[in-house]
Amino acid sequence: MNNSSESPRRPSVLHIFKIYYPDLFGGTLTVIRDICASLKETFVSAVLVCSDKGESREIINGVEVERVRSFGNVLSLPAAPAYPWRLWRRIAKHDLLALHAPFPLADLVFALGFGRKRPLVVHWHADIVTHAGLRRFVEPLMRRTLRRAKAIIVSDRVLIDEAPLLREFEDKCHVVPFGIDTTVYDWPKIEPHHVNDRGRLVLACGRLVPYKGFDVLIRAAVNRQFEVWIIGEGAERPRLEQLIRELGLSERVRLLGSVNDCERVKLMCLADVFVMPSVTNAETFGLVQLEAMAAGRPVVNTALDTAVPRVARHGMEAITVPPGDAEKLGEAIDTLIGDPERRRRMGLSARTRAVTRYSATTFKEGMETVYRAAVTAPSDEVAPAAEALQATGWLDSLRIAAALAWSDMRHRYVRSLLGPFWMSLQMAIVVAVLGSVIGQMSNADMMSHLPMLALSMTAWTFLNSVVLDSTTALQNSASLIRDRALPPVIFLLQCTFRQGLFALHNACVPLILWLLLSPHDLSRALAALPGLLLFVTCTFALSLVLGALATRYRDLKPIIESTLMLAFLASPVIWSAEMINHRSTVMRLNPLTHLFAVWREPLAGGHVDATSIVYVLVTLALLLCASVLTLVHLRKAAFWI
Amino acid sequence: MATISLRNVCLDYPLYGAYDFSLKRRLLGHLIREQGEMRIIRAVDNVTIEAEAGARIGLAGPNGSGKSTLLRLIAGVYPPSSGSVAISGNVVPLLGLNAGVNLDFVAEDNIALLLRISGRKPTRAVIDEIWAFTELETRMQRLPLRMFSSGMLMRVLFATATAFPADILLLDEWLSVVDEHFAEKAEERLQNLVSQAAIVIIASHDQPLLRRTCTSIINLDHGRVASTVMVEPPSTLPFELRERRA
Repeated sequence: MNNSSESPRRPSVLHIFKIYYPDLFGGTLTVIRDICASLKETFVSAVLVCSDKGESREIINGVEVERVRSFGNVLSLPAAPAYPWRLWRRIAKHDLLALHAPFPLADLVFALGFGRKRPLVVHWHADIVTHAGLRRFVEPLMRRTLRRAKAIIVSDRVLIDEAPLLREFEDKCHVVPFGIDTTVYDWPKIEPHHVNDRGRLVLACGRLVPYKGFDVLIRAAVNRQFEVWIIGEGAERPRLEQLIRELGLSERVRLLGSVNDCERVKLMCLADVFVMPSVTNAETFGLVQLEAMAAGRPVVNTALDTAVPRVARHGMEAITVPPGDAEKLGEAIDTLIGDPERRRRMGLSARTRAVTRYSATTFKEGMETVYRAAVTAPSDEVAPAAEALQATGWLDSLRIAAALAWSDMRHRYVRSLLGPFWMSLQMAIVVAVLGSVIGQMSNADMMSHLPMLALSMTAWTFLNSVVLDSTTALQNSASLIRDRALPPVIFLLQCTFRQGLFALHNACVPLILWLLLSPHDLSRALAALPGLLLFVTCTFALSLVLGALATRYRDLKPIIESTLMLAFLASPVIWSAEMINHRSTVMRLNPLTHLFAVWREPLAGGHVDATSIVYVLVTLALLLCASVLTLVHLRKAAFWI
Repeated sequence: MATISLRNVCLDYPLYGAYDFSLKRRLLGHLIREQGEMRIIRAVDNVTIEAEAGARIGLAGPNGSGKSTLLRLIAGVYPPSSGSVAISGNVVPLLGLNAGVNLDFVAEDNIALLLRISGRKPTRAVIDEIWAFTELETRMQRLPLRMFSSGMLMRVLFATATAFPADILLLDEWLSVVDEHFAEKAEERLQNLVSQAAIVIIASHDQPLLRRTCTSIINLDHGRVASTVMVEPPSTLPFELRERRA
């Protein structure tokens, strides 16, 4: 990237967040912008974000901003499939990564172990509050990110105490309160202690999103005298406008929309009371109330479990009311409106607090210290070892599963006299009987179909047995899981390996038939290999998911058994598509049809339908997603057995 | 370097009753809004343990006080409900000797499989060495374990489990089934293993054993750390390694 070449001595920082100016205005963005601006001399900053307006790369105030296309928002998250990939590509080019949490899309990249070699600093802006249900899925990711972070920056001590996740990493947390440049509020015409005699203008500022609680503020204005001006834009606007109309407040309540910085400063200085009506803990600090304080305005805020009531303290710089309580909020505003002297006093102390406690210099120094420490900290000490450990962990699991499967295989031979050939003989008999019966039903030439029938039966037996075995595998290996601490996934792998070995063994039947009855075309067999691989992968993923589910919910096993029976009859295993007159809907919708088609068609000399390939790939993708979820939950398998 | 660091670790152990294993019931419960209360016990409650190389920690406490669960948690069997667990080093949990044994296999195969499970390559030499320790006849290597007496079985399993040194050794009380002669030998080997391991955690009811082997003893009660006792360095008396049992 060009920023590292233009000044090699300054380390470069990549800020990772979901969105940036001018797509949105808000507290977090102000913080990022301030960090970039204030650390200009010591760090080169770059920003990687998503944007609805598509890809772009530009320089804003000396900061390189790269945007990745996103397709709207899903659960407050940008749907930007390319983001993790781009982030991964960018990581290596920077000396320090600054993640502005919460941003699960980026957590995904770090949780998967990418970018271990670069130091990471997490700015903890807020916990996930709005979509609490999402938390359960995202928390493990966030924990992994925090675990590998060099430092975690929060704006106030109380955030560490209130977030259980942060408490786990308490020793990494640094409290750096936000700071703002108070000089811009030295509005020449208006003294900080200026108090408007009319005293009726109430100002609020923030994105129009539910947690900001502007609806509460609007309700608080009912039957009162003051005027409310709200700065900001957002998705809630139509609802708020409707609310204003319904309550008949159009005279006194105005939504000003987005306003530029200069104008906002002016409004801050003009207002009589600043209100911060936020209703959830998503509001962690309330940078705007700090701006209002810098402008010497008294504040009304809410008693959240965050820094909000600690930045402007009740009785000193603010009146703090319970969140969501319109009545109390209205009362508090009225109290201030009716008491110019108190307003003046509070405004003065607010200004003092903003200038002394939350100055831009303190903020800058705090950030710089943390960043420097993170960049200089030896970053490679633990990381490669952990990576190696993880890799060997997987390899070990595979090896153990293979050893167990091999031992199962050997054991099977030990028990029976006919040994290896008993099962194959059984398969041969089944194929012979089925072949003759089907030959009777359809008047096709059965002999040429026999090798395919035998192979299909072998493949079906493999799938069937793997899935059935997996439903009991974990329970059967309970002692190894609980007493030797082996990862449960080993025993699900074992099922696939074991049945794979059996299937290879049974494959001698179709092999002999093929050698006897078909033209020997090796290229067809080779063409069938990728399809066969897909088949095996899908089988394993399916057994992983069903194996875990059936262990957790024991009543699933009979259901799985009967479903497999049904699937056997409904899929073209012993019959083929040509035998029935038209392709029935059930058959076409049945993923097994396609799963068999992707390797049977090339083997028979035809080529695979594109629909089949798409169908199988989609199935595989779904199964893989389910497998990943299963693997996460498999940690708890020891409780189930 | 081997270290164990548990910080404010809690483990909520879900007690699944017969109904909790039923998906139908769970779905129906959602449907008729009768949310069955899942019973949970706090098996490990706010436990903090820091151990560095050289630590010998004994876990004591009545039955059900969470000793084994804590060992399993350290071994990684159970994920902690909250708190952080950080462990570096190769953990060898020896919590039950029977794990992974197939009585139908011959002894030799069982040893080979058990070694594979612990990530070691079973070479002829290793197996012979293990067998020598059991003091059983060589031809018995080829017999299925089903034909062994429980004492003989224990010898084989013990010899296999303790064949290799470990960084972090987790031991649950299991030194009790063998005859007196072998017990002596076994404890000697165990002490040897303990002396080679960087960190050892032993759960036992046997206070004298803990006092002899450990540098500190943690008394657990209902999953909580009731008290931590530092054991003075062993007195000048020679190690009385032998454990006599009725």
